Amino acid sequence: METTVKFKKQSFKQRFHSMLAVDLKRMRKSKTFYILIAVALLIPIVMNVMLTMMDGTVMVDAQTGAETIMKGPESAWQMIGAFPGEKPTDPQAAAMGGMDVMSMCNINMMFMLVSVFICLFISDDFRSGFAKNLFTVREHKGDYVLSKTIVGFICGSLMLIFFFLGSMISGAMCGLSFALVGVNMVNIVMCMLSKLLLMLVFIPIFVLVSVSAKQKAWLSICGSLGAGMLLFMMVSMITPLESTIINVFLCLAGGIMFSWGLGAISKLVLKKTALV
Amino acid sequence: MNAVEIRNLSKNYSKKKAVCGLNMTVPMGAIYGFIGENGSGKSTTEKIICGLIPKNGGRILLYGRDYKNHAVRAKVGVLIESPGCFPSLSVWDNLMLEAENLSIKDPKREVMRVLRLVRMEGAAGNKYKNCSLGMKQRVGIAMALLGDPTLLVLDEPLNGLDADGMRIMREVFCDIVKDGTRSIIVSSHLLGELQKVATHYGIIRHGKMIAEMTADELDANCRNFVSIKAERMDVAEALLARRYSRVERDEADYIRVYDALSAEAVVIYLYENGIPVTEVKTQKINLEEYYIDLMKEGRD
Repeated sequence: METTVKFKKQSFKQRFHSMLAVDLKRMRKSKTFYILIAVALLIPIVMNVMLTMMDGTVMVDAQTGAETIMKGPESAWQMIGAFPGEKPTDPQAAAMGGMDVMSMCNINMMFMLVSVFICLFISDDFRSGFAKNLFTVREHKGDYVLSKTIVGFICGSLMLIFFFLGSMISGAMCGLSFALVGVNMVNIVMCMLSKLLLMLVFIPIFVLVSVSAKQKAWLSICGSLGAGMLLFMMVSMITPLESTIINVFLCLAGGIMFSWGLGAISKLVLKKTALV
Repeated sequence: MNAVEIRNLSKNYSKKKAVCGLNMTVPMGAIYGFIGENGSGKSTTEKIICGLIPKNGGRILLYGRDYKNHAVRAKVGVLIESPGCFPSLSVWDNLMLEAENLSIKDPKREVMRVLRLVRMEGAAGNKYKNCSLGMKQRVGIAMALLGDPTLLVLDEPLNGLDADGMRIMREVFCDIVKDGTRSIIVSSHLLGELQKVATHYGIIRHGKMIAEMTADELDANCRNFVSIKAERMDVAEALLARRYSRVERDEADYIRVYDALSAEAVVIYLYENGIPVTEVKTQKINLEEYYIDLMKEGRD
């Protein structure tokens, strides 16, 4: 009599649950995750404290002798976004189309910073050889892509939340104004919600670059930053401080489209290329 | 039904053919010794079986199903090149991660079981990066054994193991295939060790399977030879070379006569020619010698 071996079929739920459990466990054990959360919390604190201390300082250009008076932040919300109609008072920033320190180093930076986490997280799978263990027992590559996207989203969301908390804490520490000009609290909530959902546009890009670069972390970080820069300018436009439910829906739709579309491409990359 | 059945497998790396038209059959319950020179295509074949690199052609069946079948692949244990462990995590954490990956119901118990099997229970708390080469290899084997896999694919699992480690692994391998349904593919250059456990062999050269046989067939193929020591060795060797087609001097300075009918015939022949034989024994070539002969034949 011929011996037969029975194999149990796993449902998507079972497969995905185990994949996500692995990634969440790894995220909890990852130093990079905690460092980035700390960085997200510290950046607004350092920026607000530093700029408040420099408020009124006269800077003299050594070559031209021109004097510039440094202007500190006035509102605690400046780290999140500009009030409607607000223009930079610094003539140099105005000449650069409003690209002053505050608009460059605000909460939107987190969209770029999260790429570091995703790139290192995915490249570690390939560098350590753990990808061999994962893909030997996982023919469905979509589970991997979806799980990485979710973990990246969790990390990105936490970074945004901690940056927000840091801005508020440092705003209070530096005695900045919490007054809302031209916006209300609902707009602020909508703004944060749209930023969180907009993460779903950026994360799939970083996941795609990382699964393509595999163990080459430097390549995936450079590629992700480069690709992220193309969309970076859109962040302040699509998630302004005066955001409404429309902005939330726009970000949600964009997030779903990017996650689905780029996720399918990432899956294809994993299927068609060597995983070791 | 076979555990692994490969027909006409091919894989190219740009213009280089790594595997071309490979056929391979691993029966259920077999410990399959997969042998070949460096770069002969062993690791590539193993990676293709595990779905880690795409193939260019051919068919692979695992337990009668396509190798991409998720249910079958979920029961494959692997150790290829290096154990897939995160250096900054402890041995325990690495194994727990793999246990999560395999959806094991009682992960702690299973991790303890495999750690006991490879005698690493005392080092579970060590960081993986601080483990010695042999310990890392044991962790890799423990990882491959997690979840009681039906098919184990092990690439050089004995590298870096001490004598005790090798003995333990031999016991573990024999224990795994005991029930006749589980199978192991082991590639190793330690042919002496492999011969102690393998039930089947596959010899690969330039991406092609040049011989596939059972341990019994290998035993039958491994010819006997007469090994002698005599006075005036050089004259004896020259005399024997005139009568027998294959005569060689080995490292221990014995003359080996491969195609002699019996030891007595060799002794009488030398005696008749005035050369007394001081020592004589009949031996069988081992796997290593058989393999080297086979490779030599291929080259010639």
